[in-house]
Amino acid sequence: MLKNYFKIAFRNLWRHRVFSFINIMGLTVGMTACLLIFLYVRFELSYDRFHPKADRVYRVVADIKTPTETLPSQGPAWAVPGHIKFDFPEVEAFTRVAPENLLFRKGDIKFNEANSIWADSAFFQIFGFKLLKGDPRTALKEPFSVVMSASTAKKYFGKADPMGQTILITSEGSPATITGIMQDMPENTQVKGDVLVSMTTITTQYAKGIDDQWSNYSPWAYILLKPGTDAKTLEKKFPAFLEKWSGKEMKELQMFVTLKLEKLKEVYLYSSRGDSLGSIRNVYIFSIIALFILIIACINFINLTTARASERAKEVGIRKVAGAVRPQLARQFLGESIVICFIAFLLTLGLSALLLPSFNQLAGKTISTGIFHDGPLVALLLGTGIVIGLLAGIYPAFVLSSFKPIEVLKGRFATGNKGNILRKGLVISQFAISTALIIGTIIVYTQMSYMRNRELGFNKDQVLVVETKSEKKRGALQEAISRLPNIKTSALSASVPGSGHPGAYSEVENVKGDLQITNLDLYFVDFDYIPLYNFKMAAGRAFSREYKTDSGQAMILNEAAVRMLGYHSPDQAIGKKFKQWGHEGRIIGVIQDFHYKSLQTPIKPLSIRMNWDNTTLLSVKVNAANIQKTIASIEKEFKTIIPNRPFSYYFLDEFFDRQYRNEERFGRLFLNFAVLAIFISCLGLLGLASYATMQRTREIGIRKVMGASVSNIINLLSKDFLKLVIISFFIAAPVAWYFMHKWLADFAYRTSISWWIFAMAGVLAILIAVVTISVQAFRAAVANPVKSLRTE
Amino acid sequence: MIKIRDLEKIYRTEEVETVALNKISIDVKEGEFVAIMGPSGCGKSTLLNILGLLDDPDTGSFLFNNIEVANFNERKRAELRKHNIGFVFQSFNLIDELTVFENVELPLIYTGVKSVDRKKRVEEVLDKMQIMHRRNHYPQQLSGGQQQRVAVARAVVNNPKLILADEPTGNLDSSNGNEVMTLLTDLNEQGTTIIMVTHSEHDARYSHRIIRMLDGQTVLENIMV
Repeated sequence: MLKNYFKIAFRNLWRHRVFSFINIMGLTVGMTACLLIFLYVRFELSYDRFHPKADRVYRVVADIKTPTETLPSQGPAWAVPGHIKFDFPEVEAFTRVAPENLLFRKGDIKFNEANSIWADSAFFQIFGFKLLKGDPRTALKEPFSVVMSASTAKKYFGKADPMGQTILITSEGSPATITGIMQDMPENTQVKGDVLVSMTTITTQYAKGIDDQWSNYSPWAYILLKPGTDAKTLEKKFPAFLEKWSGKEMKELQMFVTLKLEKLKEVYLYSSRGDSLGSIRNVYIFSIIALFILIIACINFINLTTARASERAKEVGIRKVAGAVRPQLARQFLGESIVICFIAFLLTLGLSALLLPSFNQLAGKTISTGIFHDGPLVALLLGTGIVIGLLAGIYPAFVLSSFKPIEVLKGRFATGNKGNILRKGLVISQFAISTALIIGTIIVYTQMSYMRNRELGFNKDQVLVVETKSEKKRGALQEAISRLPNIKTSALSASVPGSGHPGAYSEVENVKGDLQITNLDLYFVDFDYIPLYNFKMAAGRAFSREYKTDSGQAMILNEAAVRMLGYHSPDQAIGKKFKQWGHEGRIIGVIQDFHYKSLQTPIKPLSIRMNWDNTTLLSVKVNAANIQKTIASIEKEFKTIIPNRPFSYYFLDEFFDRQYRNEERFGRLFLNFAVLAIFISCLGLLGLASYATMQRTREIGIRKVMGASVSNIINLLSKDFLKLVIISFFIAAPVAWYFMHKWLADFAYRTSISWWIFAMAGVLAILIAVVTISVQAFRAAVANPVKSLRTE
Repeated sequence: MIKIRDLEKIYRTEEVETVALNKISIDVKEGEFVAIMGPSGCGKSTLLNILGLLDDPDTGSFLFNNIEVANFNERKRAELRKHNIGFVFQSFNLIDELTVFENVELPLIYTGVKSVDRKKRVEEVLDKMQIMHRRNHYPQQLSGGQQQRVAVARAVVNNPKLILADEPTGNLDSSNGNEVMTLLTDLNEQGTTIIMVTHSEHDARYSHRIIRMLDGQTVLENIMV
């Protein structure tokens, strides 16, 4: 009997190749999309879960409350982790993790290692990264100890054993010893490093005493709790701990700290502190999209199968007459549906493997290296395929097996009203989902375009930024570069728009005349910085060589800082006093607000001061012509003046836009899956339209004989479906508005959701539907009526 | 074999009520060949469907081999049907996706006959119907006469006691029609009871008895000599 079922299933598939193709194709594309999204979601959820002690590891973060605001910090003060370990026996170990872009040199080989990390000696005790060589307990203990990943070590040492060898680190060229080789870190970790350098290098050599600083904040800190320790209980002990160690200092500075613990496994997806983090919201969004795509594919399946019911009706009748009972027939049709899903499963495996490299590229990370060797994944997909087959097959099986043999054999079969209503309902759901995705995609892209094109308040075009770090000869380099042709101007600074910058404890005279304690973002610049970036002054003046005091006793604020201090106009702030990091002086100017961070965040109070010693970046304004030649000549100067460091540069506009990389990826993924959803919906619509056309062949013939034109016929066949598409639009629009409104709320600066977006999505959905239906309708409309009548 | 008494079947729509069978009573003995004739809409096919356990009457009694089957549910009807009744239709009703062999094999599958026995039985029947050489062909590759022979083969493959034929020659030319009628006559001579609905006086003459119907009732019975 089973053999008979499969035989019929395969012959049916072959006989109705177009329908089979649409059905299998829809399911394959749907399942492929779901599989890829599943891989993406699984990858996102896997971050830092591979560490054996992950359940006991927590990141220590801090909220710093100043008189004006609460600042969320990614890490506590440098002194905190060590003292926590000292005070609380339930804490087994701690490590601070400070990512940095460090220069490494071995003979002529030199690289800026962007993924360098300063780490404490317990790093390998806390995290599960494997050391291939060296002792995990001592590898990062001594100052100037370096642990490299296997592939990084290969860059410097080739096939030679790197253990015990010396490498020069930082621009000073301090000799350091390779004390360990670790396995390359996987991509799914938030603590990603290619080179680790012992934290004692900083605490005992470069910044002695930093271990006891309670108001200088380290980037990240992780603690390992002893088994059975409750993190919440520990967290509750922190206020007393802070009061004991730094209560006096907090009161003096008027900066009150609250320490919090974040589970290591949740940092990547749930924490809002830090860059390069994932988003649980995106995980949800893509999971929902995957589900939607699967639903759309299943709907196609149900629709096409029940639409074809009349064709199978005769077979049902014959089988019933031959002795089949309903459960047997239901099993047969369910079996067929599983066969289709199984074929789709096989095709999905192939298609996914084919698309995986492109999808990795699209997602911006290697979410998976292959499908076939992932046994559990293949099993899961097969299981999903069978479940889809069962779910999508149940209704058609129920309908088909219920036919009365005498009716269907006498040809008195008519597609039931119920079936029609269900099919219409399903088409509406499909198109509602698709239209909502179209609206979502347009809004995502509108926001992207808004962010790219918004006036940022400075000129980012044709600005090349050369990383000089704190090389002593950077002044000489600036001079040499200024003399080159095609160079308009240049400036040294510690920060450029889009880059990192310090936050500084500051006291600034407010509108009441008090020195208000606050934390100000801080830019260190030189005289040429403000004109180079074309910042506009709102009041006062920019730094000038004419004023000797400008280099130490002058500060420029942005408008946000002026507002925070309570001034009604920028002019009021001019001449007011400030104290910051050991410097005192007066406010000499106010610049108009500019976006020095991405548009996700609002413009914060910013202070700008001159301090050549802290500058590390050389901004060079170049002529648009011959840019490659200009870069080559800058590189030549760089290599002559600073031969020890690799030449590293970027264009500011690209650098600034990289902040939107995550959004861009999100947008691209969203677009791709929306297109897929629409494609699958259209496949279904095409199938239904061709079926409806087939069923109405005789009617079309009669109408044509009676004088109907081609457009009359197309209109006749299209209008029923168009009605459904229009209804689906009215369902999709408010739902999409609601969710996209929430999505946009995360951007400090955002586009408005205009009516044209809905109009465009509606027109697009209708257009896509019309084209899909018209292909079939046109064919039927231009056919010879005599032929179609004879067909009947 | 068949004893029906006061059988009534009424089709109702919202506005119209059509009496298809109006308290009809008929007896058919085992081994008989009965033809049912009458104008379109007189209730012939409805009667045949009820006799074939494809439909149930509204009222009345239907004894099949002395068992009251009028109130049988779908499952019981299917069970009785697949072991006792074979069907031949005007439009052949073969499954297009199955070969000749597989079409004939179908009733044996549903009665749970083993594969080896099925093969043997199907080949026997195909041979008897002189269609063995077409065993691997699909219905659409056969002529009308050949298709109907396959349908007859399918109807008899389970050795049913009763064959119900609904205008079996209606879609055939006279030569093929005669062939099919000869087949049915042969089967009847071998002991199978046959009830045939037909419009053709010519075909009806192959039967032992003609029951003529009008408006859901029997109006005349002719015994054929």
